[in-house]
Amino acid sequence: MAPRLRASLLVPLLALALLLAACRVGSTPSVQPSFTPASPSATATTVASFPLTLTDDAGRAVTIPAEPQRIVSLAPSNTEIACALEACDRLVGVNDFRDSLPDDVLATLAQVPDVATFSGVDREKLVAQQPDLVLAAGNELTPSADIAALADLGLPVLVLYPETLDEVYADIELVGRAIGQDEGAASLVDGMKADVVALTDRVAGSSAPRTFYEVGVYEGVIYTAGEDSFLASLIGLAGGEPITGDAVTTAIQLEDLVAADPELILLGDAAYDPSITPDAVAARPGWEGMAAVTGGRVVPMPEDLLITRPGPRITEGLEILARAIHPEAFD
Amino acid sequence: MRAAATVSSVGRLAGGPSLTRAAAVLGGATLLLTAVLVGAVAIGSVGVGLGETAAILGRRLLGLPLAETWAPAAETIIFELRLPRVLTAMLVGGGLAMAGTVFQALLRNPLADPYIIGTAAGASLGAVTGIVAPLLLPVLAIGAGTAWLGIGLVQALAFAGGLGTVLLVYAVARAHGRVPVVTLLLTGYAVSSVLAAGVALLMFASGRALGAVFSWLMGSLAGASWPALGFAAPLLGLSFALLLPRWRSLNLLLLGDSAAANLGLDVEREKLILTMLATLATSAAVAVSGTIGFVGLVVPHLLRLAIGPDHRLLLPASVLVGAALLALADLGARVLGGVPVGIVTALLGAPFFLYLLRRSRGTATVAAA
Amino acid sequence: MSPPLLELAGARYAYPLQGGGRRPVLSDVTLAVQRGELVALLGPNGSGKTTLLRLLTGALRPDAGEVRFDGRAAHAWRRDALARRVAVLPQQLELPEGFRVAELVAMGRTPHARALFGSSADDERAVERALLDADALDLAQRPAGELSGGERQRVLVAMALAQEPELLLLDEPTLHLDLAHQVSLLSTIRRLRGQRGLTVLAVLHDLNLAAAFAPRLIVLSGGSVAADGAAATVLQSALVRRVFGVEVAEAFTAAGGRHLALAGMERAVSPPAAERA
Repeated sequence: MAPRLRASLLVPLLALALLLAACRVGSTPSVQPSFTPASPSATATTVASFPLTLTDDAGRAVTIPAEPQRIVSLAPSNTEIACALEACDRLVGVNDFRDSLPDDVLATLAQVPDVATFSGVDREKLVAQQPDLVLAAGNELTPSADIAALADLGLPVLVLYPETLDEVYADIELVGRAIGQDEGAASLVDGMKADVVALTDRVAGSSAPRTFYEVGVYEGVIYTAGEDSFLASLIGLAGGEPITGDAVTTAIQLEDLVAADPELILLGDAAYDPSITPDAVAARPGWEGMAAVTGGRVVPMPEDLLITRPGPRITEGLEILARAIHPEAFD
Repeated sequence: MRAAATVSSVGRLAGGPSLTRAAAVLGGATLLLTAVLVGAVAIGSVGVGLGETAAILGRRLLGLPLAETWAPAAETIIFELRLPRVLTAMLVGGGLAMAGTVFQALLRNPLADPYIIGTAAGASLGAVTGIVAPLLLPVLAIGAGTAWLGIGLVQALAFAGGLGTVLLVYAVARAHGRVPVVTLLLTGYAVSSVLAAGVALLMFASGRALGAVFSWLMGSLAGASWPALGFAAPLLGLSFALLLPRWRSLNLLLLGDSAAANLGLDVEREKLILTMLATLATSAAVAVSGTIGFVGLVVPHLLRLAIGPDHRLLLPASVLVGAALLALADLGARVLGGVPVGIVTALLGAPFFLYLLRRSRGTATVAAA
Repeated sequence: MSPPLLELAGARYAYPLQGGGRRPVLSDVTLAVQRGELVALLGPNGSGKTTLLRLLTGALRPDAGEVRFDGRAAHAWRRDALARRVAVLPQQLELPEGFRVAELVAMGRTPHARALFGSSADDERAVERALLDADALDLAQRPAGELSGGERQRVLVAMALAQEPELLLLDEPTLHLDLAHQVSLLSTIRRLRGQRGLTVLAVLHDLNLAAAFAPRLIVLSGGSVAADGAAATVLQSALVRRVFGVEVAEAFTAAGGRHLALAGMERAVSPPAAERA
């Protein structure tokens, strides 16, 4: 998974965003919780033996007393996993970031309240939903203070933080077990694995271009896939040779990028900002001599979230990457 | 006749605030604090009725035999989320305001706040290390969620960083058995600068955790919980208990070191004690709330304008009013959707302070020249 | 027999200098002050008067020799124990803003304070008596920041009296006062000595004022005692010439007191020994 640093890297922007959030909330009515118990889901296909204890991606032992009927998802990737496991109607609280969720998921969640934003979790709203399972994200996507606080309240909080494709599979299976959908998870993962095999077969044999995926450029600092990151591994699977940045900051110095001489530049940030175009890239000082620029292989990505969201549709993201890297294989 | 006049004014001649005045000021502040406590616990992003709130508190705090007519979630929200947060805000606000009062008198510097001699920089470096290190060294991440003495890695490092830095600054500033105020201030500034560079370096490497780092540096009470309160409350309680009776020392220090010594104060020893107690309060507060600005600087000034500089009254009043103001600001922060409370204190508090300053132009706002 | 209240024996002190090394101020001072005495301490700038006071309050510790208060080394006293018996009236004091006079005077009670927060009936009586004795009762409710120079000095006297000391040390208390206030202050001190049985050691600048004020004068010069005795024996033009480097004429007041008059600006001789050193 590529760290998405867009908003969080700029402190002033963050401050501004917080203020905007503050203004926005003024218009949000205080939610009067309906303290009615949820009707048990009829979609459970497997009767797993609850209570069960699972180990999450943060290494925490999480005990789930009974099959969860009221699930809160604190990250879009978790929401997609839950919905792909036919538990969409069990979600009682989600993250307010709903961009790029599948339409049917959006429709199902229309009445489900937001209990978290990118800056944190509204613990009161979350608790008011009386969840019996919380799906959180790791690496501070869900602030660790919130995870600790919710766990202290006795809520089962499952932290998911997949960093490879295999870990995405593992997390889907983990969620499957947590919500009593083991079989659904197994078949979902099987399908994803088959998709990946088909894709990698398709691009096999072609030479792998040195590929630079641009996550964003802020104040002259260039962010890309970090060394050994999820995004880098996806680029490799899609038939490219990833040019990577620092493992921690995911930044790459311009001179290192020039020296790496990318043959293909993928503009992930173009999916958010239409002003980022191949022409704009060519006009950047220092970029004009790169093989990708002189060879006309600078490609705006139509989609970035599918590629960077470690959910069940990661295979779709992989296909988008493969098509961008090896368009000839899909003719 | 002079003797008659004397007898009639005996009570006030002793120089202290009269009993009724002290009672009025402290009683008023306590009333304000109580009102804020009720309001801040009753209001939040989820609506819980006032009667229900009162009933929940009555049952849990006072053990009243009330029937549970409310949903368990409401009880969790009131008792596990809001109450520890409001109490933490009060404890932190009271601690910071008291520490600010102490430092302003001790350093005879109107710009002094609880952080001035390095507490903020040291605590920040500790906290940011606690936030970022588990991301860089995943082995730490496993233990990061586990609490030790009711607090996590971040709080422990923040507390140690604040206290340790001031000890270092004090030791460095000491010469010939004395710690001159100017040397102390400059040493604190220099050491803070070094530590701030360390914070900036860690922020650069913080990646996703930058949001958490930022929120900590701005000051936020989102991390409040009963266990965290259980860590901070005894430390802050201890510093209140030991500092409030030292009002005489603070008053004497306003007269200058040699006058204070002639009135029986062991000046250097007393300064060390006051510095360390105020730093203990500050570090404990910062550990559970981050570096919340403004409260510790302005509450003492505000109260000096209102009730005068006598620390017998000023110290306890600053505890009470600081507590009420921070709880109020945090209520604002919560209602505004989880904005770091430090932003609220600065955004609303600073203009209010400016207004007061302009209104009272000409009167003294400074502890001492 | 009880020891003298104040006693210096061969006291020597040198200030440490910033670049290292020390600047000697008192080289060998020996003197004693008995209970109830009223003594003026004189000497040119730099002769060590203020240093001597700081030795007496225990703020400094002699490099050699003895400085004793009531038979015990001054620096060995607990600060609050010493402050219960010794008060200092400084040249001036920056009075912190916002306090009323009564509150400031009450600060003089600090060394006696027992209660954590309240003040005792003793404290209240002492403050009231101090204000009364220092002629400052009418100032009690005034803000300290609004006082004139003379009023401030009265308040400082009241603060010192609130300490209920046996020994009052005055550090050039008349420095910023006009003649009328100088006389008024010193006569107040004399009256208080009688009323309260105080022992008084006052650093003064004006030789004639000192002679009118105190029966005994001590003159410091170059770090040691140049003269010590009754005003009549100390205030000799030869001594003034030697110590201050100024030519004066001796005269007698109508009341029979000895008086010195400046002989004229042009007759001033070389600067005193202390400043040359």
